[in-house]
Amino acid sequence: MTEEKKVVDLLAVFSDLAPAADAVEQLRMMGVHDDCMNVISGVPVTEAMLGRPHQWTNVPRIAMGGAILGMGAGIFLAYASPFLYAYPIQVSTQSFVPGPPTVVVIFELTMLGMLLSTFLGVFLDSFFPNYRPMKYVPEISDGKIAIFVECKHVEEKKVTDLLKKLGAESVKPAEAQHL
Amino acid sequence: MAHDKKHTDQHAHTDHSGHSEEHFREKHLMLDPLPRGQMNDMVMESMLEKPTWKWWLVFGFLAFVVVYFLFYQWGILITKGQGQAGVMRGDYWGIFLVNTVFWIGISHAGTFISAILRVFRAEFRRPFTRAAELMTTFGLVQAGFSIFMHMGRVWVFYWLMPYPNQRMLWPNLHSPLTWDLLAITTYLLSSTMYLFLPLIPDVAMARDRSTGWRKNLYKVLALGFRGTEGEWTHLRNAMNIFAFAIIPVMFSVHTIVSWDFAAATRPGWSSTIFGPYFIVGALHSGMGAAVVVLAVIRGTMKHMDYFVRGEHFDAIGKLMLIISMAWAYFFFNDYMVQWYGGDKWTQQLLHFHEAGPLGWMWFGMLFTNIVIPWAILWNPKWRANPWLVGFVGIAINVGMWFERYIIIPVSATINRMPFTWRMYTPGIEVPMGIGTVAFFILLYMAASKLIPLIPVWEVQEGQMAHELKKFGRETVVSVSELE
Amino acid sequence: MIRPDEIKLSAEETGKWGMVINQDICTGCQACAAACAMENNISFVGEEDSGYGRSMHWIRIERFWEGEYPEVKMTPQQPMLCQQCGHATCEPVCPAFATVHSQAEQLNLQVYNRCVGTRYCANNCPYQVRAFNWRDYKRPEPLPNQLNPDVTVRRMGVMEKCTFCIQRIHKAQDKAKSEGREVMDGEFTTACAQACPANAIVFGRVDNPESLVSQLAHKGHGVKHLEELGTLPNITYFKGG
Repeated sequence: MTEEKKVVDLLAVFSDLAPAADAVEQLRMMGVHDDCMNVISGVPVTEAMLGRPHQWTNVPRIAMGGAILGMGAGIFLAYASPFLYAYPIQVSTQSFVPGPPTVVVIFELTMLGMLLSTFLGVFLDSFFPNYRPMKYVPEISDGKIAIFVECKHVEEKKVTDLLKKLGAESVKPAEAQHL
Repeated sequence: MAHDKKHTDQHAHTDHSGHSEEHFREKHLMLDPLPRGQMNDMVMESMLEKPTWKWWLVFGFLAFVVVYFLFYQWGILITKGQGQAGVMRGDYWGIFLVNTVFWIGISHAGTFISAILRVFRAEFRRPFTRAAELMTTFGLVQAGFSIFMHMGRVWVFYWLMPYPNQRMLWPNLHSPLTWDLLAITTYLLSSTMYLFLPLIPDVAMARDRSTGWRKNLYKVLALGFRGTEGEWTHLRNAMNIFAFAIIPVMFSVHTIVSWDFAAATRPGWSSTIFGPYFIVGALHSGMGAAVVVLAVIRGTMKHMDYFVRGEHFDAIGKLMLIISMAWAYFFFNDYMVQWYGGDKWTQQLLHFHEAGPLGWMWFGMLFTNIVIPWAILWNPKWRANPWLVGFVGIAINVGMWFERYIIIPVSATINRMPFTWRMYTPGIEVPMGIGTVAFFILLYMAASKLIPLIPVWEVQEGQMAHELKKFGRETVVSVSELE
Repeated sequence: MIRPDEIKLSAEETGKWGMVINQDICTGCQACAAACAMENNISFVGEEDSGYGRSMHWIRIERFWEGEYPEVKMTPQQPMLCQQCGHATCEPVCPAFATVHSQAEQLNLQVYNRCVGTRYCANNCPYQVRAFNWRDYKRPEPLPNQLNPDVTVRRMGVMEKCTFCIQRIHKAQDKAKSEGREVMDGEFTTACAQACPANAIVFGRVDNPESLVSQLAHKGHGVKHLEELGTLPNITYFKGG
């Protein structure tokens, strides 16, 4: 019983886009759920090319949040900081919160907040930095496309044959290794 | 991914002017794809190539220049005071400020190439975005040095930063120098992050192909990148946001630098056109510097002649020509209006520019910024010659340095109090300025041996999207929008 | 948010100090410059630096002439010092708030211990009256004995300029306050006005119509230098009268 339930991770390496897309479709028809598949590639291939479901990303939302924080910092600097000293410091006849400089300060800090948080968003969403052993083959950075399939132990042979028939260069169990 | 579409077609396609497919492949990187593994090899070889004795000689010389001319002289400047420089009453800002504006100007080219060309989908940018972005980061380092050099009490520089302190003193937001601090900090951080994001996949590639200390270095830098769908999505999304957002930041940075002068009430400085004038000037000198960097990379590093071809110099050369025309337009705008309706002090100033002791600099600026680019860059054959375009680039940088010298020390000589008029003669700024140039080149040489200079994944992405198509009898290049 | 014109100050604090300088009777003797240097602990820069334009004088006598030799005609000498502008162009541009407007004395203050040395204020001064400490100038013995204890000694990297002898203003105000009265016109004056043998410099409260400086300023034929820039200078010059 446990043998049947055991799940195996297979790694199939393809050298071209079209066979890889075929493989994804065939696997789906065979009953492998989209969540059990993962595609790794050396160039960004869009989900649409592979027939994969849309990949959600939090980066824009994090960027927006960062922009709001940056704007808040700018507003604090422009509107609050002149009044934090014992009395407002007068320079020339400009008012304590001058118009055009306020625009400049708020703009710069908003952009800084947005870009810093976008960068941070990539780290958060991708769980960077990640130095634990991961399932990977170095051929991917040579332009190959790899498909990870999580399938039940009993179906392993069926899946392996299908992938080999569709043109996979190699199909082997995926091992987590230090990158 | 190896798909030599050209080889699947047995007939040699020729267009009406007799260009064979071979010709297209030779000229255009995007139509000349190689297997990714081979391109990776080329980039790694170029980076790992053992430096020759000549390389070490140059590196050692530059390191000496940096240590003695830059850091040691800076120590003297700090201990003995700004009196070591050439500044005095009447002209309180000199070559340090000229260098600051110069280096910020150069750094703008990197953003232009990697952000604006990306937004406009100019495919020719693909092989050299990283080289340009490195220019931005290293240029901003020199600009930061130069601005610190001019400060009278640089050891309390942090008083200019907004931080909570016991006396509740915050920086003066009325001052263009405070805007400068915010803008340049934003720009430096943003462009470094924008350099790093597309670098991650290439460093992952380097990690996969390295051993020893390099492997450890790239492993750390690659952050565990594998190329999963999620990672690519987040990365590309972030790069899109950066590309669009860093453009207004870039525009604002040099505009704010120009306001250091335009917000002042001096004749020659209080000009409303300084904002766009400085931006165009920055692009002018920056593209010139970019082309020199590319010519040197192509000429000295292995395999770079595959990635950086005549077509790229042709494209940048066209941009340089257009920007030179734009610069001439803005210069003339600024000059004409001052000449026509300017007050007596401005008239004196303009006369001093052209007929004073540094008139040769003024004419030299016009010659190198306008005459040389216009005389050389109109010709497509000449534009495709890396060294010729590199020469034009150097000439433009000389001219733009002259331009900033004229705006800062020369214009500052003529103020409304003639009793204080005096000629500025540079002092310790000269060796320190040379030190910043040496430091820039030194950082670049070090980077060329430590990180892959060509974004191979972007090159492959572009090659995937390009193909040759037949339209009737003509063979044309076709680009698919894969994004 | 308090606007500058809404600030309310007590009677003895609302000073508005100004000067009248009569260029027609100025002889160019430079006694004012010497007195100012001694009163305010100004450094001795030396011949070479001074010739290059680095003299630290807070007041300078500008002399011009018309015509070519031998038909040279003198024009009136022009003592030039900080005009304590009401709308100072030097104030907004300092990033560290080291030059600010004193609402009490209506003077332009230079805060030595806040100055970082960017020199933007000096570039933006239309009168070019600001002096920068380019080096740590030495005072050979026994000159340190001459230092005025009421005035800070500045180090290199810091900007300085005429303060209308604010130490004397404060001393007179303190004395008057302790005696329970207002400061009388002519009770004290700046070092330069005190030293001038021709009485070409008159200092006092320009907001008090009865003070000597007010009466002179309103005589009618005074000019304010570069007033077309809108700096609202507090010094009126008599020239060619």
